[in-house]
Amino acid sequence: MAEEVSSQMNSLSISETNPSSSATISLVSGDDIVFKVEPTIAKEMETVQSFIDETDGKITTIPLPNISSHDLPYVIEYCEKSIAGKITKEFEAEFVKKLNNEEVKELFLAANYLNIKKLLDFLSQVIADRIANKSVEYVRRYFGIENDFTPEEEAKLREELAWTFTGVDPDDEDEN
Amino acid sequence: MSNLGHEILIPSNNKREMHDSQENRVRLNDLSDCVLLHILSYLNSIQAVQTCILSTRWKHLWKYIPTVKLHYSRNSPTVKRFDIFLSNMLALRDNSIALQALDLDRGLIEPQLLEKILNCVYSHNAHIRQLEISAISQSYPILSCVSSCKALTSLKLSLYNIGNKNYSETLFPKSLNLPLLTSLYLVNFTFCGFENGCVEPFSPFTKLNSLVIRHSKIKKAHILHISNETLVDLAMRYNSFNFVEIQLSTPSLCRFTFPDSLDQKICGTGLSCVKHVNIDAPQNSYLMKHRFVLLGWLRDLASVESLKLTSITLQILSLVPDLLKVKLPSLCNLKSLEVELIPHYNELLIVLMKDDMLKKAIPKSFEEVAKLRKAFKAGLKLPSIPDGIVDFLRQNSPSAQVIITT
Repeated sequence: MAEEVSSQMNSLSISETNPSSSATISLVSGDDIVFKVEPTIAKEMETVQSFIDETDGKITTIPLPNISSHDLPYVIEYCEKSIAGKITKEFEAEFVKKLNNEEVKELFLAANYLNIKKLLDFLSQVIADRIANKSVEYVRRYFGIENDFTPEEEAKLREELAWTFTGVDPDDEDEN
Repeated sequence: MSNLGHEILIPSNNKREMHDSQENRVRLNDLSDCVLLHILSYLNSIQAVQTCILSTRWKHLWKYIPTVKLHYSRNSPTVKRFDIFLSNMLALRDNSIALQALDLDRGLIEPQLLEKILNCVYSHNAHIRQLEISAISQSYPILSCVSSCKALTSLKLSLYNIGNKNYSETLFPKSLNLPLLTSLYLVNFTFCGFENGCVEPFSPFTKLNSLVIRHSKIKKAHILHISNETLVDLAMRYNSFNFVEIQLSTPSLCRFTFPDSLDQKICGTGLSCVKHVNIDAPQNSYLMKHRFVLLGWLRDLASVESLKLTSITLQILSLVPDLLKVKLPSLCNLKSLEVELIPHYNELLIVLMKDDMLKKAIPKSFEEVAKLRKAFKAGLKLPSIPDGIVDFLRQNSPSAQVIITT
């Protein structure tokens, strides 16, 4: 704990002497936990960066009310890897293995809110993979969709688009 | 959370438990159409169209997806339905929405269907950025359509050309000019050389970052020149480039998968800066010259950080006489060494390795040799990774991590 404080003091004193470029950015999660990140990380988050730019870099504490302290570390981890150019298939596979369906969706919302293109693309692929070849009911549950078709309407639609519902099996080949 | 290395200044209760108890908290359906379309663009098109049944909101959403992604699986008996699906989808999608990506893996394509697909591509050729076509079809119409797509950043083509009812080779066009292309993946092409015996097919792509060439060949040339300044990734596998010299002038090359043939000479400045290397030598490369080709490659890898090779590659390398005494000038920055264990199917390599082991035993003692012979007769299995070879590779960076995979 003592170490943590002193390193924190260090970073504070550095940021005082050199306020322009190397000041760390504080991201405050919805549940009021502060994450200190390098400015390069903030650059990956378009929403955060445009906020910083708009205030000419004077404000370095950024509230992110929509993102929980549970999700933010994942986002930061991904951004760090991305900056280091270390986003590999292996890393992404490991990364996604840790996440359950709800977490994937939460991170997707976070990536969308923060406007992190690479993470958004990656999570879109993850969601697509997780609903691939699943039943209509499963996909409705996954997206939180209430079916507002009457049974007649649904049957009619299936008939109209019979070319998509009959005889064609969804592709179940592995992506490579 | 501390293992992620971020300082947490204000401690708070862990919210994890709350998380798990609230299933389906996140409703993606509350997002805008635009965001949902982004997700849909990663689905294969059949399932993407089927989302019309989810609710009234989704009924027409699929028509605005900016991508088409269709892979025909070989086990499916419904070729005809697949084609009906494709032409219906192309006809019904909202054509005012720019098509940004087409990923089609179809096998044999009838000319009429091909025409529909290509017409769709032509009508969006100013916008389309990613194109992946794997098909058995006439190559020429596809290639001329591709050459009209000037906005392409990523192109993957696997074409089995059918001419007059026969398969014929697909010549890689010499005049293909795609100025924005960063990623190129080619399967089953023939690169035809000029009068000087050189072929340099990729020089028009000045932004090229990643290049993969598979199952391809070279005609009328003995030198393949790759000189893209921006090239970072290069992989060549399963090609028939035998006895072709590959010249690399690629100052940015970072990841390289060596050709799976040891009959090729690789020269130029490309290898010295490569950081990640993959070598998978074929089992039939047991000639003396092959062993030295491998050793030569390793000598050239001055800055490699991660080296991945197969156990077969190590076995071939181990047959270099007095290998373990060789001082390597390279491999000084090696951080990880990955060996993939590959089972043998070629008896000759095993015979050579046994012979080599016996030769090494001779100076020790006669008993040693006899013991070894007896053990071989009793079916002694040779080690997949020859003794001492891992340390040989790590001689200039002994702390490199060793990873063994199967």
